[in-house]
Amino acid sequence: MSLLDIRNVSKIYGELKALDNVSIRVDQGEWVAIMGPSGSGKSTMMNIIGCMDKPTKGQVFLDGIDIAKESSRRLTDIRRDKIGLIFQQFHMVNYLTAVENVMVSQYYHSMPDEAEALEALERVGVRERARHLPSQLSGGEQQRVCVARALINHPELILADEPTGNLDETNENIVLDLFRQLHREGTTLIVVTHDPEVAEAAQRTIVLEHGRLVREVVNEHFVE
Amino acid sequence: MSKRRMFFRMITASLLRRRSRMLIALLSIGIGATILAGLVTVYVDVPRQMAAQFRSYGANMLLVPSGSVLTQEEADDAMALIPEEERVGAAPYRYEYLNMVRRQQSFAAAGTDFDQVKRTSPYFKVNGRYPESPREVLVGKGVADTVGARLNGVMELTWFPPSTQEEDQGDADFDIRPGMTLAGHAQGYGSREGFNDNPVYVTFTVGGDGTIASISVDTSSETAGVGTRCSEEAFTDLFIGKKPKDLVLGRDVDAVSGATVTSAAVVQAIADARPVTDESAALVPRTINYAVVGILETGGEEEGYIYMSLDDMGVITGTSDQLDLVELSVSATQDSLERYAEEITASGHATARLVKRVTKSETAVLGKLQALVFLVTIVVLVLTMVSVSTTMMAVVTERRREIGLRKALGAPDSAIRGEFLGEGLFLGALGGLLGAVLGFVFAQVVSVNVFGSDIRFNFWLLPITVLVSMAVAALSCLMPVRRAVAIDPALVLKGE
Ligand SMILES: Nc1ncnc2c1ncn2[C@@H]1O[C@H](COP(=O)(O)OP(=O)(O)O)[C@@H](O)[C@H]1O
Ligand SMILES: [Mg+2]
Repeated sequence: MSLLDIRNVSKIYGELKALDNVSIRVDQGEWVAIMGPSGSGKSTMMNIIGCMDKPTKGQVFLDGIDIAKESSRRLTDIRRDKIGLIFQQFHMVNYLTAVENVMVSQYYHSMPDEAEALEALERVGVRERARHLPSQLSGGEQQRVCVARALINHPELILADEPTGNLDETNENIVLDLFRQLHREGTTLIVVTHDPEVAEAAQRTIVLEHGRLVREVVNEHFVE
Repeated sequence: MSKRRMFFRMITASLLRRRSRMLIALLSIGIGATILAGLVTVYVDVPRQMAAQFRSYGANMLLVPSGSVLTQEEADDAMALIPEEERVGAAPYRYEYLNMVRRQQSFAAAGTDFDQVKRTSPYFKVNGRYPESPREVLVGKGVADTVGARLNGVMELTWFPPSTQEEDQGDADFDIRPGMTLAGHAQGYGSREGFNDNPVYVTFTVGGDGTIASISVDTSSETAGVGTRCSEEAFTDLFIGKKPKDLVLGRDVDAVSGATVTSAAVVQAIADARPVTDESAALVPRTINYAVVGILETGGEEEGYIYMSLDDMGVITGTSDQLDLVELSVSATQDSLERYAEEITASGHATARLVKRVTKSETAVLGKLQALVFLVTIVVLVLTMVSVSTTMMAVVTERRREIGLRKALGAPDSAIRGEFLGEGLFLGALGGLLGAVLGFVFAQVVSVNVFGSDIRFNFWLLPITVLVSMAVAALSCLMPVRRAVAIDPALVLKGE
């Protein structure tokens, strides 16, 4: 059974079809990239998968549960338990230190554990920046903290919406390496990107245009 | 780390690391709490103080003579029935009429003890100062206005013996012996006019040969420049060396021209003169000049009096130890006061009466004061709430992304609510603490400047101020919190 099964999903804003009858399946442990021009519905799709939005039409099965039918309260629970989020704009709590930002995620999930949070920072290579505020961190460092925050609760699915959009080449590669590690550990990854290089790192690329799925490409060069 | 510790860590981080915004919220709560604590202190403490002052200062008991006069001893005996520590002040009063001869007017004058007056009548407003030395008077504003008396001016006052003394001028059977002093009076011109009923007074001494050795004549009730010439030496010297008995005007002495009536009165007074004993010495009129050291303003009947010391009153009247009234201020409950009054009256030393007026006005003033303070307190609370609410609203707007992020990270609505309320309550507690301390200082300043009394620190006011501040902060946070909870993470986190 697929971890994620999107069936004939549409999201309509007035006249505009942000998503138009899209169906996608993602298996457990798979790494999928979503590409497409600006305004093609990539973020809309991610929000629906991430339980922050509901489709106008269609079904979205996550672990067998149709999240299109759940209450927003249940959606919050599902998001907290199963999903790790990474954003293009990083989004950190600006008055909390790096380690505290990671702990916030633990706090809502289960129990804050500073040692574990520090370990996660160690893993993404910003252990020594743990006590710094976001304003004292570079973009790359912030995004790495956000990766640490996304993986701290061991989610089944990591959703990253243009995670390297604001990063330089070096930091992009660091983040991609982290994704590779997560993939090897069996985490399912869905990464929205503009960047063909980032897309090529994934096993499969889905291309959206005007809210429609126009192409699906399997990456033959993918190295396990 | 427990969830609770993380909760507080986040809240303190939010408060400490986002200082400027939080300082504004803290300031508004702090100021609100300050005014609140201050007003409540004033509300609670000042009535207590004022009640004490009202009770201790204003006179609330009067002692009046049981018989015709009240002696100091009787007054002391009566007051001894009240415990000393409850006696705050006791002002004795002796009332007499004194005259301003030149104006042909008489005024009520009171002899008293000014140190005690300050305690029993603290509302007396004295322009100038209270008399301290002999021959100083405090003049009521009404009197001063009538006679045009000015501060630091001189006031000539004359005491005339009561004319009822006329009937008992003393025993007519006596022999005139050398060294004797005799005094007498007779109706002159002035008394015929009806002014004051005051006769012409004559005092003379008898020499070794039984003739008049010295003589003084008081014509202050007579027509100025006419009858008054009878007290000049040109006339009085005519009597020196004459036998006081059976003097005839026109034969033994010539009348002052134009003042025949007064001259005749002098001769008649000599004929009627009786030996002066200590007692009858009092019955000689006396004129004394006083320095006006203060003008008294009370807005009441006290302005119609001239005040001097009891000693001065004794000097001008020639008698002392007569009191008409003692004003007492006693610091005791109404029940005790009533009991003391009964005991004093029963003792026979004096009759005690209670003054109700003070208690009534006290209640009225306090009621109004408290109503005012209550209103201001409500207004301050509402303003604080508006201010804190506005600040928190701005905080929510400013933190939309953060709230969206927290929700995206799996924060349920209850957690968002809890965090904002937690911050609000924390601010409330901190502001309340600050306010309780500053409020006490504020109340102290108000109390000292407005009421002239120190304030007592109420320890229970601290927790109450903190709790009220927290409640106000929580209430103020309701709207902002509702807004925070309604934030949609998807919209906020959109990758703009
Ligand atoms: N809340 C919304 N209300 C109205 N239109 C929206 C909303 N969210 C997204 N859209 C529209 O839906 C389309 C898809 O947007 P989005 O999924 O953000 O595109 P992408 O992430 O691929 O750039 C866009 O045209 C956008 O303007
Ligand atoms: Mg997008």
